[in-house]
Amino acid sequence: MSKLELDRPVAVAEGAPPRRPRWSARSRRDFFIFLAMALPNLILIAVFTYRPLFANMQYSTLDWTLGSTTARVVGLDNYVTFFTSDDAPRVLGTTAVFTVFTVGLSMVLGLLVALALNSKVRGTTFARAAVFAPYVLSGVGVGLVWMFIFDPGYGVLAWMLRGLGGKSPEWFNDPQLALTMVTIVYVWKNLGYCAVVYLAGLQSLPNDVMEAAALDGAGAVRRFWNMALPLLSPTTFFLLITTILSSLQAFDLIRIMTPLGNGTSTLIYEAYLQAFGAYNRAGYSASISVILFAILLIVTVVQVRFVEKKVHYA
Amino acid sequence: MSFPLPRRHFLALTGAGAGSLALAACGGPDTSGGAGATKTADADFSGVKPAASIDFWTNHPGKSQDVEKQLVEKFQAANPGITVNLVTAGSSYEDIAQKFQTAQAAKSGLPAVVVLSDVWWFRYYINGNIIPVDALIKQLGVQVSDYRDSLVKDYQYGGKQWAMPYARSTPLFYYNKDHFKAAGLPDRAPKTWDEFGEWAPKLMAAGLAQRAFQYGPMAGYAGWTMQNNLWGWGTGWSKDWDITCDSDDAVAAMQWIQDTVYKGKWAGVSSKDQADDFAAGIASATLASTGSLVGVLKNAKFNVGVGFLPGGPKATTNVCPTGGAGLGIPSGISKEQQLAAATFIKFVGEPENAALFSAATGYMPVRKSADMTAVLAKTPQIQTAIDQLAVTRVQDNARAFLPGADQEMGKTAAKILTQQGDVKSEMSALKKTLQGIYEKDVKPKLTA
Repeated sequence: MSKLELDRPVAVAEGAPPRRPRWSARSRRDFFIFLAMALPNLILIAVFTYRPLFANMQYSTLDWTLGSTTARVVGLDNYVTFFTSDDAPRVLGTTAVFTVFTVGLSMVLGLLVALALNSKVRGTTFARAAVFAPYVLSGVGVGLVWMFIFDPGYGVLAWMLRGLGGKSPEWFNDPQLALTMVTIVYVWKNLGYCAVVYLAGLQSLPNDVMEAAALDGAGAVRRFWNMALPLLSPTTFFLLITTILSSLQAFDLIRIMTPLGNGTSTLIYEAYLQAFGAYNRAGYSASISVILFAILLIVTVVQVRFVEKKVHYA
Repeated sequence: MSFPLPRRHFLALTGAGAGSLALAACGGPDTSGGAGATKTADADFSGVKPAASIDFWTNHPGKSQDVEKQLVEKFQAANPGITVNLVTAGSSYEDIAQKFQTAQAAKSGLPAVVVLSDVWWFRYYINGNIIPVDALIKQLGVQVSDYRDSLVKDYQYGGKQWAMPYARSTPLFYYNKDHFKAAGLPDRAPKTWDEFGEWAPKLMAAGLAQRAFQYGPMAGYAGWTMQNNLWGWGTGWSKDWDITCDSDDAVAAMQWIQDTVYKGKWAGVSSKDQADDFAAGIASATLASTGSLVGVLKNAKFNVGVGFLPGGPKATTNVCPTGGAGLGIPSGISKEQQLAAATFIKFVGEPENAALFSAATGYMPVRKSADMTAVLAKTPQIQTAIDQLAVTRVQDNARAFLPGADQEMGKTAAKILTQQGDVKSEMSALKKTLQGIYEKDVKPKLTA
């Protein structure tokens, strides 16, 4: 694996003149090989990742109406507006609730499903495929199908509830229920991902250790809590990072099921609504995107620096 | 493989990278404080040859994809030098607006003709995204006087015409004739909401539908249809630029609506489309666009009746807003494209084509001389919509001109109708929001 090393001054013998390390022909050749290999990717990343990122940061300092060719520089006004208006508690609260529930439920249910799929009974191959299938389906398609299920007028759920003498809740019009509905569908769609990753983790557990624990008299529950779960901590850590990041960036289901974002305006959806939904506040939207970026960065750094310390690598 | 990287080289590499990023970050809007968007003056198109190919961005309002294809083919046959590319630019007015404004920001990929709804064209105007069509109308000899006056006037501002009517609609009162008959009600729309308030319990007692009346989805165009209630109660979302949605009359109107859901328990709110709910027999009556008429007649398994919108305690006529979409021409394209676009818009608005479009969708025939005989023989309900045009009213500025106002009105209506929010405080909060939008996003950009 190649490694870049900065030319720090090297220790020299006392009294000898300081000597620059040689930039030998070989080093030069290696460096150009490195450039030839890395530059195409670096250019692509610069143009398609960092360019929008930096451009977005610049836009966040503008009072810019989308579609207008001119804008006014307002410094940090957009950030001040966000944090001093009702938007901040509403949007951050929705984002937190959505993330906590989608991540928590996906992981817990995913683990339970993985435990079930790990058992040696007939039909597990089909069950694994069935559980994973929603994850690879288009979010738009999933959203449309679930909209028919939840429809209070002629949805399957409403029909079942009417059959039981009840009445369908107003899933789409009540903000709390709308968030619940989107959370349910998101968990259903992403459960398979957690289940499959956990399943891989369960299948890589050292059999000898687990069998030794069983011989020592540890029951199934104790083996799970005291052996399997700690040994699965790298898997859990990996899932925690990936599901939090994807949950914070969830868009398609929210867009399809609740286009107005009534009760479901997470940070990313609020950024979309502000710029493209109706308000056309491109600068304000950019500031919300930067806030989301900062949160993603903080979450990742915290996880890598602190949570990872709790991870037990076999 | 490991190799040392001299600091100088590292710094040079970093600098080059940062420079390229800075260069790449260039673009976006002009922040120099210049004159702003160029509002293209009435240009002279004499001597300009129409472009050979243009894009027409549409969301196929009123499920009009087939008839739009037909119109494009007819146009190309009549104008062999111009090819029109029919582009599905979304499934709603909002989708198409999003695509159009993104193209404006990208400064490329603009169409020559774009469908623009009643709540979007003004924004395009203040951003300088569309051109006035007066010069083109004059040059091409478009008979503006034959267009329905109220529909043409909707696109006038600052003494100029900014678009031409296309898929224009009004709300209609739809009712299930079979349900009305079974409930012993007359075969007509109610004259006032109070009258319908007396009919609704009878409809519920007949037990034929889940609800006597279905309001539109709050994520839809609640702000549009509820102008009917506000006007009937003698007020509106605004009077010119003065936001009036917290007035006593407005609160009374919204309170009446809330009571139909929570006290009377005979009305509900649609989740997706009230016209679909009505056609499915979920509700005995609803208020929906004329653009839904053909679809409702096709899908409903009962006799459909339509009528004028009911009045309120303070006004029983002129309580129906116009709506729908027109066709505009972007400013950021060549004159050749603009001329070809205007030629297409003129063609689509020809009386026989207006009648064809109306027959296929239920939208208003935008021309007075459009021969609707065949259409009316097949769909007589369209006559009600045409008759109602005489008593329509231009929409409130707050709903049509304030960016995002329609969504805010929808959210407020949702709080009142689905969460039983306090009407007075919700309408006061809405006023504050709308006032803020006006002060920040519109007032500074209005020409004196």
